[in-house]
Amino acid sequence: MELRVTERVSKIRWIFLPLGMCALVAVGTHAAADVVGDKVLFAVDRVDAFFDAIFSSWSVTAPLVDLVGLGERTFFARAVALAWELSADALLAIPLLGYDERAAADELTIARVLVKRRPSLRLVQPAAALLVSIAGAAAVARLLQGTLLHYPLIGGFVAATALFGLFLLLAPRAVFRSLEHASAQKTAIGLLGLAILGPLAIAAVASL
Amino acid sequence: MKPRLPLVELVLCALCLWAAWYHTPAGALVRTAGAWVFRTHTTARPLLAYYGAGTLVPPPEHALPLPGPVPPAQALAYGAFAVRADLGSPPAIASRLRSLAQTLHSEDAAALALFCGEETAHYAMEHAGSQPHLIDLARALPPSKTCVSQAAQALMLGGAYALAWPLPESVRITSPFGMREHPLLGGRRLHAGVDLGVMKGAPVRAVADGIVRRASSDGVNGRILVVDHGGGVVTSYCHNDELLVGDGDHVRRGQMIARSGNTGRSTGPHLHYQLDLGGEPVDPLRFRAQRPKTAVGASD
Ligand SMILES: [Zn+2]
Repeated sequence: MELRVTERVSKIRWIFLPLGMCALVAVGTHAAADVVGDKVLFAVDRVDAFFDAIFSSWSVTAPLVDLVGLGERTFFARAVALAWELSADALLAIPLLGYDERAAADELTIARVLVKRRPSLRLVQPAAALLVSIAGAAAVARLLQGTLLHYPLIGGFVAATALFGLFLLLAPRAVFRSLEHASAQKTAIGLLGLAILGPLAIAAVASL
Repeated sequence: MKPRLPLVELVLCALCLWAAWYHTPAGALVRTAGAWVFRTHTTARPLLAYYGAGTLVPPPEHALPLPGPVPPAQALAYGAFAVRADLGSPPAIASRLRSLAQTLHSEDAAALALFCGEETAHYAMEHAGSQPHLIDLARALPPSKTCVSQAAQALMLGGAYALAWPLPESVRITSPFGMREHPLLGGRRLHAGVDLGVMKGAPVRAVADGIVRRASSDGVNGRILVVDHGGGVVTSYCHNDELLVGDGDHVRRGQMIARSGNTGRSTGPHLHYQLDLGGEPVDPLRFRAQRPKTAVGASD
């Protein structure tokens, strides 16, 4: 009976593994984007001050200074954080849906070959995927423990188990798939991708 | 190839999907799109509400009429009372908050305990860093707790009740907060702050401790300072003649931060003082027992 359940579950791994990895990275990018939010607010203030200084010089554009008022800045900052997060999802999480599992040893061999190639911007995605999936695993564990906060022992155990499991079973696959995807692309993600993923990866570490 | 732990993997993937589905804006986007396609109802929050762990809240609609000046030690209690009147009288809430702050070693944690319970606050304190703000405490808790939003509102209002005034109380208000006919542009517009008629060069003081978020100059606001006091409380000081602090500087309550003036779009020397709570401009006089007298004078 138990064997049958295991077999059935094995048959649908090709659906749930990519979905789970994609979700793990999405949770990680959100944890990172949430940290970025505050910094974005400061950046929005600088940009806003810059444009206010320009727009206020002509009577035609002066009303724009009022339009982006003090209240709207928080909204803008959060909107920038959201756009940042969704772009990172598109660059990191969505490609994970194309994961096609091979034997672990084969995946390791392929990964070694890909990493040893000429170092380039192609390594940005897997590196970001690593940090973001660690942040994602920590965020999932935190959510579990917080949900079970009235049962501290069970909560602590469940969170630690989930964290260990995610580090061991999902995060490495996400990194591998990211490496594989980045290597298969015709062009590297470029400086724009680096500008999106770089700060987010640092923020992912800060979110831990 | 035979997978070794398919059931464990299934559970882990389900956990990740649960977290992404309910606790990220990307999940909310998918849920909203699904609800739109299938014409069903969704509990997904607005996308921007997923940031700040539920602590980025708008100020409550109704102001508490103040019977007299708020003692600084009771400002947070007044804020809590304005959010939930069933918590008791402000002095009673203040003494409860004092004892909670003593056991939890943090005012923010005390506010959290008041609304979410002591057990939750202790848990959050254990899992947040040292000297945590409400946002750090809230990040340790599962999201969508309305009590966290209430604690955030109480701290925000408490911060507003504790604010000092940027100029001497005797300075008259030349244009109050609210809808009005614009003195220069015409048409009815919201005046998002209060205009205080002072001579050029008068010292402008920070109304609370904070960090200068913006020190810049433009043709509309003139030389402007924006100071972030934390907890969603932000004050702005426009049309100054001279700014005495810069971007990122820490300022103390009562510190001289500018000299008032007549820069930007203005009809004469005055200070435009603005209070924003949770990103929305509110009437700073809502949080003061004494109201400065009004007079005809310069405005913007
Ligand atoms: Zn004004």
